[in-house]
Amino acid sequence: MASATLEEYLEAIYKLAERGPVRPTQLAEALGVSGPTVTATLKRMKAQGLITRPQNGVELTTEGHAGAIDIIRRHRLAERFLVDTLGLPWEDVHEEACVLEHALSMRVQAALERFLDNPTSCPHGHPIPSMDGTVAAPTGDALSLHVAGDELEIVRVEEEDEGLLSYLASLGMYPGTAVKVCDTAPFQGPLMIQVGDAKYALGRAVCEKVAVIPRTHQRRRRGQ
Amino acid sequence: MSPQPSDDQSHAAVCLARPAGTGPLIALAGNPNVGKSTLFNALTGLGVSTAHYPGTTREVQFAQTVLDTRTFTVADLPGSYTLGAVPEESWVARRALLDLSPDAVIVVIDASTVARNLSLVFEVIECGSPVVVAVNLVDEAARAGIHVDTDALSQSLGVPVVQTVATQGRGLDELVSIALTVAGGRGAPAPRYDADLENAIQPVAEAAARISQRPYGLSPRALALHMLSHDEDYRALLDDSEDAAALLSAVESSAAQLHRKDGWPTSVVLVHARRSLAQTMARSAVTWAGKRRKFDLWALTTSPFTGVPLLLAVLAGIFGFLFIVGNLLATAFSSFWTADVSPWIQFAVHALAGNGALSRTLLWGFDAGIEASLSIGLPYILTFYVLLGTLEDSGYLNSVAFLADRTMHHMGLHGRAIVPIVAAAGCNVPAVLAVRSLPDKRQRLIASTLVAMVPCSARTAVVMGSVGHYIGWLPALGVFAIVFTLWALTGVALEHLLPGEPEGLVMEMFPFRRPSLGGILRKAWNQFKEFLFVATPIVIVGSLVLGGLYESGLLWKLSAPLEPVIGGLLGLPAVAGLTLLIGTLRKELALQLLVTMAVVAVGTHASDLTSFMTPVNLFVYALVNTIAVPCVSTIAVLSREHGVKITTAIVAFTVVVGLGVGGLFAHLLPLLGIR
Repeated sequence: MASATLEEYLEAIYKLAERGPVRPTQLAEALGVSGPTVTATLKRMKAQGLITRPQNGVELTTEGHAGAIDIIRRHRLAERFLVDTLGLPWEDVHEEACVLEHALSMRVQAALERFLDNPTSCPHGHPIPSMDGTVAAPTGDALSLHVAGDELEIVRVEEEDEGLLSYLASLGMYPGTAVKVCDTAPFQGPLMIQVGDAKYALGRAVCEKVAVIPRTHQRRRRGQ
Repeated sequence: MSPQPSDDQSHAAVCLARPAGTGPLIALAGNPNVGKSTLFNALTGLGVSTAHYPGTTREVQFAQTVLDTRTFTVADLPGSYTLGAVPEESWVARRALLDLSPDAVIVVIDASTVARNLSLVFEVIECGSPVVVAVNLVDEAARAGIHVDTDALSQSLGVPVVQTVATQGRGLDELVSIALTVAGGRGAPAPRYDADLENAIQPVAEAAARISQRPYGLSPRALALHMLSHDEDYRALLDDSEDAAALLSAVESSAAQLHRKDGWPTSVVLVHARRSLAQTMARSAVTWAGKRRKFDLWALTTSPFTGVPLLLAVLAGIFGFLFIVGNLLATAFSSFWTADVSPWIQFAVHALAGNGALSRTLLWGFDAGIEASLSIGLPYILTFYVLLGTLEDSGYLNSVAFLADRTMHHMGLHGRAIVPIVAAAGCNVPAVLAVRSLPDKRQRLIASTLVAMVPCSARTAVVMGSVGHYIGWLPALGVFAIVFTLWALTGVALEHLLPGEPEGLVMEMFPFRRPSLGGILRKAWNQFKEFLFVATPIVIVGSLVLGGLYESGLLWKLSAPLEPVIGGLLGLPAVAGLTLLIGTLRKELALQLLVTMAVVAVGTHASDLTSFMTPVNLFVYALVNTIAVPCVSTIAVLSREHGVKITTAIVAFTVVVGLGVGGLFAHLLPLLGIR
């Protein structure tokens, strides 16, 4: 099916679409390529029936969606393998997996899955789609979607940003930490988050990368 | 913040070195906002020098000081939560700690948040120098009902612990004498973590022990911990020997082992282990008498409904204070100077240089020049530093940053930048200096450019005194509207043109802290001194040059080449070109001198400006004076902060925009039937 480049595009479109309508400029930014390159590639993808272009946006067709799920499955399996078996650090494997993912045939995927004991999520906590293309709903939503007064628990920090992961951890924000939204600044400004006895202002861009679930009192919290 | 130019960026060290022959070196480390800088200022006096690593903006400050008869040097590291590779302040603190290898390290912690502060103490102990812990702000903690048992804490940490109140100097002598006693000795044993982590550390430490030349003479355990946190910095330090390869493979296998257990990268496992141990220690050393405030008033500063009006009120307060109080003080200073200082300087200059053009030129520099520097410095800069210090020390600046962050983002700036920009409406000079508190170079550059384009009180006075006085308030408002539009466009354009993007905001919000007047005044005076030493010589030289040109008559000859611009482009009388030039000395001179020189050039009837300038002339004149070229003092501090190249670029930009817009309106307004 698609070339490695098109697979990268499918993956990026799929991930962006989870957060809202996709614009070509967002794609250019996510993939680190120029605007004209994106336009040209999208034209090719449209010709192959992988996407549609409603009102200049980008949407996956059924075929494109299946392609995206397929590449994401391979990416997340590769990450699992790199971390669990080869012992590479959790925060480094995203880029490595981007290279490996294109080389995994159906047969290798099935073998990997058995070898890894049928993992359900990648090392960053994202679900691994099954062979038939079904995806378990990812647990948690972005911290940026929450409002003052919400009591939450961090479930994961997006994989793309290694520095952020370590830095937030050093401030006491790692998976399992209980946090509370104290205030949100006007005009879509930063959120003020309470962690233990400290308060931090986190910009929207940072909050979008932190996934949280509502806190329930029965849940046993790790790390507390 | 050193007055010596030798500490400028061009002399930045690749690796910081210990100052030679000045007694033991004691480093100060600590989280942000624990009063570390206050402690540094209380320990040291004059002669502070700074150094930083190339490409970084966080400084390490050095100062020599004496206790009883012992001389020693204190190095103030940037405030940081960890010694990790990111963010910048953590990296700088770590590199400086390793490069300097201090004889002792004082780690300053906040008595109210001991548990959170101890992680850094562990990391510093692991680096190997003897450590003394200063539990600072015990007075604040006591008010909140928190008591720290220093003996218990000292026992569990294995290092001396001293209670201090840096703002009052309490406990500092004891702290320093203990630090000097332990200086040069052996470091304390490193803290031990939970069994699973220790099992993972052990094989790595064993592999590290086989490396004979460990970087910075780190202990095997310290090297093991740094390697486990997957730090590229450390990997780069290892050679390609077999021992190094064995260490790397031990690191990989321990990391995999830890990951299988928790599902976390080792850096997060380590952070978590340090925090758990810190919590255990704090639990046994800190007692809390349970005085919980029912309602946190300080939260009002960040709640949108109360915070925004409060922010507007504070900004209006700063603006009004600088505008009204600053102006009053400036007027008072000016009459004091004219009556009590200027005659003496004139007397001295006349006695030395006679009565000719030379003495008049000298007076430009040593009378008018020094007055220009001081009449900005005392009323505006000193008062602004006191205001800024109060906002900073109370913790309000962080509330400001929180509320204004999104708006300032459009111009590539952090929320904090709103304070210097508003202050610039009073005077640009302290605003340029205040830009230093912004976190990165890109932001400092954008903010400085924008600050230089904000009309200060002197430029506002010219607009009001010319356009406002002779034409009306509406056209005066028009001038400000044009300037504001250009200003906003410049900000948005810089955000798009300059490479890089604003960092995601991650900032701790602090509770209200009662600022100490003594501390604020001392800080304000230190910052003000810097302006005085850096800017005054430049202003004097600038004034001498201008004076020389004026007295020799060369300035009038200069007006001929200026004619195409002043007459052709702007449609102004030639004398206006000269006064615009002289206005760079002090912007309000552009109006005062315009009247004086117009009388000289045209005759007495010219004292009413409208008799020789049309309303369009006045409008264009005020517009160009407001936009083009900040004053000499602003240029002086700009070049101090950013170097000559960038300052030239900023000044050239304002000249091009000023003349361009001035020319545009000079030709556009008559077309619209306005004359």
